[in-house]
Amino acid sequence: MDNLLGASREALLLLVSGDPSLWTIVGISFSVSLKAILLTAPVALVIAFLLAHTRFLGRRALITLFQTLLAFPAVVVGLTLYLLLSRSGPFGDLRLLFTQIAMVIGQMVLCFPILVAMGHAAIQAADRRAWETAITLGARPARAMLTLMHEVRFGLVAAVIAGFGRIIAEVGCSLMVGGNILNHTRNITTAIALETTKGQFAEGIALGLVLLVLALLLNFALMLLQGKGVMHS
Amino acid sequence: MKPEPILQFRGLRKFLANRWLLDISELSISAGQCMILSGDNGVGKTTLLKIMAGLEPPDAGEVSYDGKVLPLRTAPQQYRDNIVYLHQSPYLFDCSVIDNVAYGLRRRRMPRAAVQAKVAEVLEWAGLEHLGKRNAKYLSGGEKQRVALARARVLAPKVLLLDEPIASMDYKSRERTYVLIERLKKEGMSVVITSHELSAVLPLADVHMYLRDGKLHDERQDNTAAQMSWLISSENRHND
Amino acid sequence: MATHSARLGLLVLALSLVAPSPIKADRMTVRLATATSTENSGLLQRLLPPFEGRTGYRVDVIAVGTGKALRLARDGNVDVVLVHAYEDELRFVADGYGVNRRDVMYNDFVIVGPLDDPAAIRGLQDAADALRRIAASQSSFVSRGDDSGTHKKERALWQAAGVMPSGSWYREVGQGQGRTLQMAGELQAYVLTDRGTWIAHRRIMPILVEGDASLYNRYGVIAVNPARHADVNYMGGMRLIGWLTGVRGQSIIRDYRIAGEPLFFPLAVGP
Repeated sequence: MDNLLGASREALLLLVSGDPSLWTIVGISFSVSLKAILLTAPVALVIAFLLAHTRFLGRRALITLFQTLLAFPAVVVGLTLYLLLSRSGPFGDLRLLFTQIAMVIGQMVLCFPILVAMGHAAIQAADRRAWETAITLGARPARAMLTLMHEVRFGLVAAVIAGFGRIIAEVGCSLMVGGNILNHTRNITTAIALETTKGQFAEGIALGLVLLVLALLLNFALMLLQGKGVMHS
Repeated sequence: MKPEPILQFRGLRKFLANRWLLDISELSISAGQCMILSGDNGVGKTTLLKIMAGLEPPDAGEVSYDGKVLPLRTAPQQYRDNIVYLHQSPYLFDCSVIDNVAYGLRRRRMPRAAVQAKVAEVLEWAGLEHLGKRNAKYLSGGEKQRVALARARVLAPKVLLLDEPIASMDYKSRERTYVLIERLKKEGMSVVITSHELSAVLPLADVHMYLRDGKLHDERQDNTAAQMSWLISSENRHND
Repeated sequence: MATHSARLGLLVLALSLVAPSPIKADRMTVRLATATSTENSGLLQRLLPPFEGRTGYRVDVIAVGTGKALRLARDGNVDVVLVHAYEDELRFVADGYGVNRRDVMYNDFVIVGPLDDPAAIRGLQDAADALRRIAASQSSFVSRGDDSGTHKKERALWQAAGVMPSGSWYREVGQGQGRTLQMAGELQAYVLTDRGTWIAHRRIMPILVEGDASLYNRYGVIAVNPARHADVNYMGGMRLIGWLTGVRGQSIIRDYRIAGEPLFFPLAVGP
């Protein structure tokens, strides 16, 4: 018990004092995950819209596929990407392994199914009349799509938050393709996983606290949005 | 001399489930004309209106707009710019009344000042000036209906399609809506109205059609024919 | 009434014969914390089973970085620790966390790197000089960065070279030897590794520097001080130490080969 309390106290001190190595790690986590979600969201949401509004062969199968991919373990994504980017792999010449870019790619793959599945659910729940109203008032299909998305914006933002929550907390993929390199690819989760091998538990706890607070904030935001979404429907 | 039709359908057919929902040999709307469309629930009035609005494509038939015949598949995109359809319970976007009314105008890339002026004018016209900044979702049913009418009118369409515009409305709202539709008629807009409360809207009508078994019938013609045949048979009785 | 208690008594007897008493099981298990490089070399798979067979003990091996291994020992979560970090080991005993430190064996480190050797260190006799050249040419270098025995050795070499390595060419990965080697291979970077792990990883990159006395690596074994943690298996730990430093254990160490090459050299002189 002493150990836990002692390490926790040290952890809080580290956080508050603005310890640069710690906050560099936090910064890398956010930088990578924000890039991944911002790059993926527009494409994923448009695909979600198409899945909800257009009819094509295999549509149902595709929706089921995305819902299955929701539970895909991060480690498997990481391993697959590693094999693709390794020197002996097809994309080895790009020299992307153990860079932040590789981590961003991995996290894009991870959050894509969540964005599509939850985005699709939100758009499907939209009032059909919204689309027809936009079109009859003269909007082109692309514009009408944006209008519809605005009408269900709370559900879409919830999807983005859920996707972000998944990737900021994942470790399997970041570790495999990032390599936990200090100041480059060491993010919160890989640091927690491996910092403790040095026996430096205080750092591990400090980082864990950052993640915990973030998770609380995200879930709080989700809760508020879901309430608002209901109110507006 | 009948005025030139704006929108004309010939041999219009729409398939649904396992039968022909609509099988209309001829349907045309002329400028400034008000058409009432009646029929039982579920007979296909809404579908017909949506096809006329260009929101749904017909399965077969010939479409002419402004005298020009259009290819069936691409026709809807081509003629719907001048036709506005209002749902039975109109859908207002999740923003202010002003933003709702300005929606169609903004798509046309008009300068901001012009948009503002037109919106202000039409809000006055509809008696909604005091509601401009309010979020449209929180209005009453009657207010929503008038916002929808204003939103359509500001685009100056040639044809306005109203699906059950006064259904489930209280007397006051019904009156106000009626007045607005009358004004639209005076301003020269063609209006097609579906309603199953005929007595309320009949005075507005130039034409009254009813839809049964997928076919359109001219109510007045049928009534006139019925009256004629009654007259003839009664005359005959007199002469016996 | 009598039959009821008789049946109960029979049940208790049967259970006590079948179910192992938890206390007894602990006494027959020895928990050994050791460095990942030691585990990776495969030596323990050769060294421990005969001990288990002879004594009936079961050895649980926990392979982590040297820093963590010592920490586990300090917290009393293991019974014995086998690492290669001489100064830290002495301090460990001096601080009273461990007793009965004995030399067990030594092996050597090597510097491996890309075939084209951009820093031109191949064949150098002085390891510190090699590192100096790597720093000067800013050639890619991967460090374990995890306070392991290997990492400490690496730091000592940098110090001897008079260089503080920093910059994007110097990458600390905070992981075990095997993974570090793998990453160095992917990045075509120089890396310091123990010979055993290098052999075990199918010779990812060639050895460029070896044989320097500063590259030798001494292993020590320490028992966790029972005065600090009453429930450690002191008896089992001491017996294991006896085995590792005894004639039979030492000859197993001497005869251990990978791909025909010896890996470790015995240091203990006997019990």
